[in-house]
Amino acid sequence: MATDDANRYGKASTKVTSVSGRGEESVIHASSIAKRFGDVLAVDGVSFEVRRGETYGLLGPNGAGKTTTMRMVSGLSPLTAGELTVAGIDVSRNGREVRNVLGVVTQQDGLDTDLNSRDNLITYGFIAGLSRAQAEQRADAVLMYFDLTDKAKEEIDNLSGGMKRRLAIARAFMTKPQVIVLDEPTTGLDPQGRNGVWQELETMKQAGVTILMSTHYMDEAAALCDRLAIMHHGKILTEGTPDQLVVRHAGSEVAQVRVSNGARQDVMDWIGRAGFDYREAGAIITVSAHNGARPDLSGLEGVRVTYRQSNLEDVFLSMAGRKLTDE
Amino acid sequence: MVAVHSEYFAGVRLRSIAGIWFRHALVLKHTWLPSITWYFVEPFVALMAIGLGIGALVDDVDGLQYAQFVTPGIIAGSAMFHAIFECSWGAFFRIQKGMYETTMTAPVSTRELAMGDISWAMSRAVITGFCIGTVAAILGWIDTISGVGVLLAAALIGMQFGALGLIFAALSPNVHILSLTFTVVATPLYFFSGAFFPISVLPDWIEPIAWAAPLTPSVHLARGFVTGDLVMSHLFSALYVLALTAVLFPIAAALLHRRLVK
Repeated sequence: MATDDANRYGKASTKVTSVSGRGEESVIHASSIAKRFGDVLAVDGVSFEVRRGETYGLLGPNGAGKTTTMRMVSGLSPLTAGELTVAGIDVSRNGREVRNVLGVVTQQDGLDTDLNSRDNLITYGFIAGLSRAQAEQRADAVLMYFDLTDKAKEEIDNLSGGMKRRLAIARAFMTKPQVIVLDEPTTGLDPQGRNGVWQELETMKQAGVTILMSTHYMDEAAALCDRLAIMHHGKILTEGTPDQLVVRHAGSEVAQVRVSNGARQDVMDWIGRAGFDYREAGAIITVSAHNGARPDLSGLEGVRVTYRQSNLEDVFLSMAGRKLTDE
Repeated sequence: MVAVHSEYFAGVRLRSIAGIWFRHALVLKHTWLPSITWYFVEPFVALMAIGLGIGALVDDVDGLQYAQFVTPGIIAGSAMFHAIFECSWGAFFRIQKGMYETTMTAPVSTRELAMGDISWAMSRAVITGFCIGTVAAILGWIDTISGVGVLLAAALIGMQFGALGLIFAALSPNVHILSLTFTVVATPLYFFSGAFFPISVLPDWIEPIAWAAPLTPSVHLARGFVTGDLVMSHLFSALYVLALTAVLFPIAAALLHRRLVK
């Protein structure tokens, strides 16, 4: 592993394409972990595994328990129940030790506004255990690696949201961590900032870093995650690769029916009789078939039907929606 | 006592404390110019105005020229304000801006966070004491040897009020409550600490209260170094400050933990 670590974050030009043990060894192992805040069970018995070198996503709406899960993995929030190991370290016994192998990016960038970009990296590196000289060297390397060198002397308040986010991610990279934990990396960013962060994450992926990230953007999960778990109300509803999830839960294509208010009830009755799943959003009813096929709505008259490829949004809405109607 | 003490500090990662101290020192290095006003100009103005102004109206106090009497008091007060500001106002914003949370993503515990900030509070207290002390020494209001003693007292003040400041930072839900640290705590303490007049001139019933107030023993200690007449009461003063810190620090660390680790 020593050589592997040494190689992993070389210069930006030397991309490490093979990481030994990739895809086999599990780096994060969560077994029925739970977190209770007073009367609220924020995380309700969640189990998942993140393998070395993969990008694993927790996808879900606000309040699904993603952040709490990430904080537990980071050793920043004690577990109420369950077992959790990161790189073989028992988190509930040694939360601090875990942070020696993790790079953590919390939801709030948490940048030091009294220091410039480079000094943010240096102080973090020093606090994390690098020597002063190492921290300075590493800060320059990381700035270059993420294309932030021209912002080295910039005050934090002068950076855009996307830049701040990228710097926060770069900071987590200072200690060459085995695993990066990223809580909602692009929430609140404009499209340009989002792009920059995505590129930065892609760079890390290329370097073979294991990434655990949370997001409530379906496209982000689809674009970045090798595997993901969909969370809702503190539980994992389903887990798999983005493609698997879409095919399994939303079918290859969904139909979108545009209805007027008058016809709405009739159309919904018809779809229900035909045995399809549907959900409404404004004037649009989205219809999916159970078997993963394209729902055949040719018998439905007097409405406009368009078909599009299913996505994770459909997966989530169909799963969360179904659960809600069950209650 | 020693056993409890060593157990409490077992497992403390020194790099965490050194790292936090380094961060604060780096900020000062970048902001030294405006910081001079804090560390030096403001307390210097107070020293001049009170030492020369009131000094002209007042005869010797406790065998000291008034300016000499008031110098350790001003140093102690400035040390207190620096420490309490760093650890209440400064720490509050570090909590709010997620900076502490970031620090904790490195392998840093809340206790080490507290220790790191308090170590800087002590440094600030000593730096401001050194700045004022130097001027006072030039004016002949304090000699070098006593000055070193006063700085020792300043370090104690920094430790004690650093811990107190953190308690306010961890408890305050907003800046309005936080500002009570100054209006209700620091300023009254300053004026009744014996910095400007001997506690003995106060009405009898206030005297014990003034003595129990956290800054008073430190002022007494600092002044002991200036008069050069150190007696048991100065030792008690130092022990009182240490004891108070020993009580305040675990409370501060626990409250910070409650605020940051959920």
